[in-house]
Amino acid sequence: MNDNLPLVSLKDATLGYNSDPVVRGVSLEIYPGDFIGLAGANGSGKTTLLRTILGLLPPLGGSVERGCPLADFGYVPQSAALDPNFPLSVEEIVEMGAFGRVRPYHFWPEREKRRVRAVLEQVGLRHLLHRSFFSLSGGQKQRVLIARALMVEPKILILDEPLSGVDPESQKAITDLLVRLNRDQGLAVFFSSHDLVLVRALSDKILRVDRGRIWWERNGGAQ
Amino acid sequence: MSGFAQMFDPSYLLFPAVVASVILGLVLPLIGAYLILRRAVFLGLTLPQVAGAGLAFTFWLQQLGVLPHLEAGERSLGIIGSLAFTFVAMGLLGYLERHGSGLAEGRLAAAYALAGALTILFIVFNPAGETEILSLLKGEVIAMSGADIKVMALVFGLVLVGLIYFRRELLLSSFDRDLAFLLRGGVAAWDLLLYFLSGLSIAVGVIMAGPLLVFSFMVLPPLAAKGISRGMARFLLLASLIGALTALLGFYVSVRLDWPLGPTDVTLGCAFVFIAAGLRRMLARTRALVVLASAVVLIWGCSQRPAAPLPAAEALAPEPVWLFRVKNTSGLSLRLPSANPLRSLAEMAGRLSPDARATVMDAMRAALREELQRRGFVVRLPEEKDPRLAAATPDAKAAPTLAREGGFGGAMLFTDIRRWETDSRQFVRAWVELKLVRASDGALLWERTIRRALPTPGAADLGQAYGDAVKALLAEAFQ
Repeated sequence: MNDNLPLVSLKDATLGYNSDPVVRGVSLEIYPGDFIGLAGANGSGKTTLLRTILGLLPPLGGSVERGCPLADFGYVPQSAALDPNFPLSVEEIVEMGAFGRVRPYHFWPEREKRRVRAVLEQVGLRHLLHRSFFSLSGGQKQRVLIARALMVEPKILILDEPLSGVDPESQKAITDLLVRLNRDQGLAVFFSSHDLVLVRALSDKILRVDRGRIWWERNGGAQ
Repeated sequence: MSGFAQMFDPSYLLFPAVVASVILGLVLPLIGAYLILRRAVFLGLTLPQVAGAGLAFTFWLQQLGVLPHLEAGERSLGIIGSLAFTFVAMGLLGYLERHGSGLAEGRLAAAYALAGALTILFIVFNPAGETEILSLLKGEVIAMSGADIKVMALVFGLVLVGLIYFRRELLLSSFDRDLAFLLRGGVAAWDLLLYFLSGLSIAVGVIMAGPLLVFSFMVLPPLAAKGISRGMARFLLLASLIGALTALLGFYVSVRLDWPLGPTDVTLGCAFVFIAAGLRRMLARTRALVVLASAVVLIWGCSQRPAAPLPAAEALAPEPVWLFRVKNTSGLSLRLPSANPLRSLAEMAGRLSPDARATVMDAMRAALREELQRRGFVVRLPEEKDPRLAAATPDAKAAPTLAREGGFGGAMLFTDIRRWETDSRQFVRAWVELKLVRASDGALLWERTIRRALPTPGAADLGQAYGDAVKALLAEAFQ
């Protein structure tokens, strides 16, 4: 893939639900190797932007173009958004990342089994393979979901509030992991957070969203 | 029935019903598991009720002459009606889910109430078919024919294959719809597949087993399994196994204690939910208790003492077996219906007493005599020796007195019909005790208690049903 071509490109897009705009005039491009933080208060439209990038919400106006198929997007939702009613193990959660590759009538390939263990090793949770997912701590759940996103073999990781409700120790483990993935594997990372200080500390590029407006911030100033 | 293991014998009379119960117990919990996980458990309650309304509607149309009477039987027609109603209801509920407002639970509750009301109304509109409809709605698994089992095996086999083949897609679309969209481009097809499989199994299941049993098999085993399984695969497997175990144990208890099958299964299913909750707590303490509980179940299952076999005819020869009149303690007259209309007219005119009609006791005594003679016994009737015993129906306790005062030698066979009821021609609920005692000292040589529903699916009338039931009963008693 050409590094000069954007993975995602939004041009003057209006984002929202059921014809009710939440954010207007969004123009941004995400390139391979980017590390972008999206900062904004709760309800400001962060999740709306992420869902539009992922194709889960159609834009109300403007355009959204992608330089790779949706199956190449590694999505990490907030763990609180997942239903704890499901008695899933860590292994089963991570396996889901490969469901796009394994056809319905096929047995689970050995290659995918090895990959499940490898990505869990990568996030430092190999020992929790058989544990119940919903019995884990918030930070562990988040890292398992990152492992699931890595199972996709993505070109870009999109994370919705990955550090929300996570203890400081786990926050450090997650941020270290994201930095490592970005630096060592060249994976583009796009994450949202309501904590502007943390976004500034972590990201190369910072997007701010507030009251229906969105803008770039670099070195503490508006772009 | 002498033991649990006998249910697995293909020559066992109720073997088709056992198979049907196990199929339902294996497959319905898998469907129910997805509905529970999707928090759509009310759908599992509403759809069987809707299927029941479809069944009643079909019979009403048949009574109006809109639909033909099928020689193949009512079930085929019922399946069409319940399938149509189920899928239309699912389509409407799906449409309202996407385009309507308000609570999904409220819609399901309203649909449940409406379906229940319509079922009653359709039955009221069609009093001629009330018995048949109620019989189908009750879901007499016990009265299933071989053809019904084939239909069930086909439908539920298809559902099972669908659930296994597409297990990953069904899980993903149920658990994380966003990821399903990213990886597979949408969830509508998988939702449709799940609802199609649910509708199919519910519609056919209701015809075969009734709404109550279908709902309980869909809900109770997954509820029991959920608390004690870690991982989706284990959860589904355990739910299915608990369903099958409920079906088997329910069948055994139902036959042994002569309880209706549906409520027995539901009660057992609830018991499993409580046991699972208890097990969950125990698991946290020690696994030894689980082993103990398993051992208790195993011992209970295997400790049924096999009944002593009937003594060989040579052991008694040349002494006879005295076949006493069959005692009737059922509280019913048990007269066989007359097939001769002239006789009925004569009875109505008072020219002929209904007491002159043959009874189930007469039929059973004749069949017993034939069976014993076939086995090489010398069979004598007490009235041949003492005419005063022609109407006597003594029990086994009287054997020594009878032997001493009447001079009877050999053995005596006493039979007591304690229950003999039917609410359709499909089966007879029977409770019959047979005791063979040594005449000299009253020692018990052999005994059998048959207490269960005897299927009589091929009977054209009540008399034939009684005759078939007598044959089935003796076949089981003397096997």
